[in-house]
Amino acid sequence: MSIACRLNVNGAIQSVEVDGAETLLTTLRERLALLGAKRGCDQGVCGACTVLMDGMPVRACLSLAANCADSPLTTIEALNRDALGRDLQHAFVELGAVQCGFCTSGMLLTAYALLRDNPSAELDDVREALSGNLCRCSGYRKIIDAVLHVARPRGS
Amino acid sequence: MSDTVLHRPATLHAALELLADNPDAHAIAGGVSLVAIINAQLLAPTALVSLRGIGELEGIRATPDGGIAIGAMTRHRAVAAEARLRGPLGCVSEAARSIASPPVRNMGTIGGSISLGDPGADLPPALVAVDATIEIANARRTRRLSAREFFVDWYTTALEPGELVTAVRLPASESGTACYEKLVRVAGDICIASVALSVSSSGTARAALGGCGPAPVFSDEADALLSRGLGDAASVQAAGAALGRVAKPMDDVRGSADYRRMLIPRMLARAAARAFAQLERAA
Repeated sequence: MSIACRLNVNGAIQSVEVDGAETLLTTLRERLALLGAKRGCDQGVCGACTVLMDGMPVRACLSLAANCADSPLTTIEALNRDALGRDLQHAFVELGAVQCGFCTSGMLLTAYALLRDNPSAELDDVREALSGNLCRCSGYRKIIDAVLHVARPRGS
Repeated sequence: MSDTVLHRPATLHAALELLADNPDAHAIAGGVSLVAIINAQLLAPTALVSLRGIGELEGIRATPDGGIAIGAMTRHRAVAAEARLRGPLGCVSEAARSIASPPVRNMGTIGGSISLGDPGADLPPALVAVDATIEIANARRTRRLSAREFFVDWYTTALEPGELVTAVRLPASESGTACYEKLVRVAGDICIASVALSVSSSGTARAALGGCGPAPVFSDEADALLSRGLGDAASVQAAGAALGRVAKPMDDVRGSADYRRMLIPRMLARAAARAFAQLERAA
């Protein structure tokens, strides 16, 4: 049965008709042409589909689209709208934190939520926050370096 | 394209009525497990009843008897951060902190997690160790079961068709301590084995194991031995042996049954040493 719902994606209201069991990832990619969230494992393990819901990182592959109608959603396509998002993107480029790029949008959104809530995050905080995002190129070292590059030293 | 009806009731009563009227419907809480199961094509539900947004199922509150009630739709993130889950109840928040990854803890709920009855899950042994009570409702009545009674078998709980977990109640906590020890292959994985241990300052101790059988493993004999004192190495060793006798571990990708049998007394000893040190520091 299709359900008409209004999703708040990156600040714009999108009216879509979805199946009751349709995931947010499918809606974003196949109805709204927002391809930044990737379909990796479809099991919530790899983190490539991570988006922000009510500002918090969640798995788009495990979220029902029709259940997201009350919550503002942010995808990688809107990350460059504020300074923190842009700083993270630049740091990823400058420090070589992108290899194949498949995990990058999930890494960036997860790191964004971390540094927004804890601007002075340290190594262990970054490792814990990114523990649910897999990089199959295994480029973790530079990803963590890039996030720490944007983090403010404690007390500054 | 599947053809699934998604109901979004506003109240618990409406959700329970929908489940009563639609025997094939599945309740969906955070979706972490259920949507993964649908994505794996292990289930093609004709109807889902979403519990998201039902206010009476959300949040953590103190109860008149001095205990704590955690609404079924409370996210792991909130349980992990709850300051009132301290002392002998601390293993519940520690177990919640160890679940999967931060984004999954932003989605998953205590009611959904325990209703799945996953033998490797983190909250079930913690809830058994603190002697939690599970509140259950269907459209006609409510009932309560101890955590010991709630977890029945592999992916099987005492929930009957049409029933939902509505809350988890934790008893009034005197002072004391608790800990949750989890052995994993990599961060975020389901445990190979885990131990939850809760101790009151009067010395009463309860332990439960995860990943070592179809449901959390516990033993009155082990609890009596642990209650002799966590500094008593012989008693702790004997408690580990007692738990090992009632455990029913299986071989799986994370470890063999024999390996798990070897782990049980060692992990219990580790948990007991940590809890003992915490009690000494508090004294």
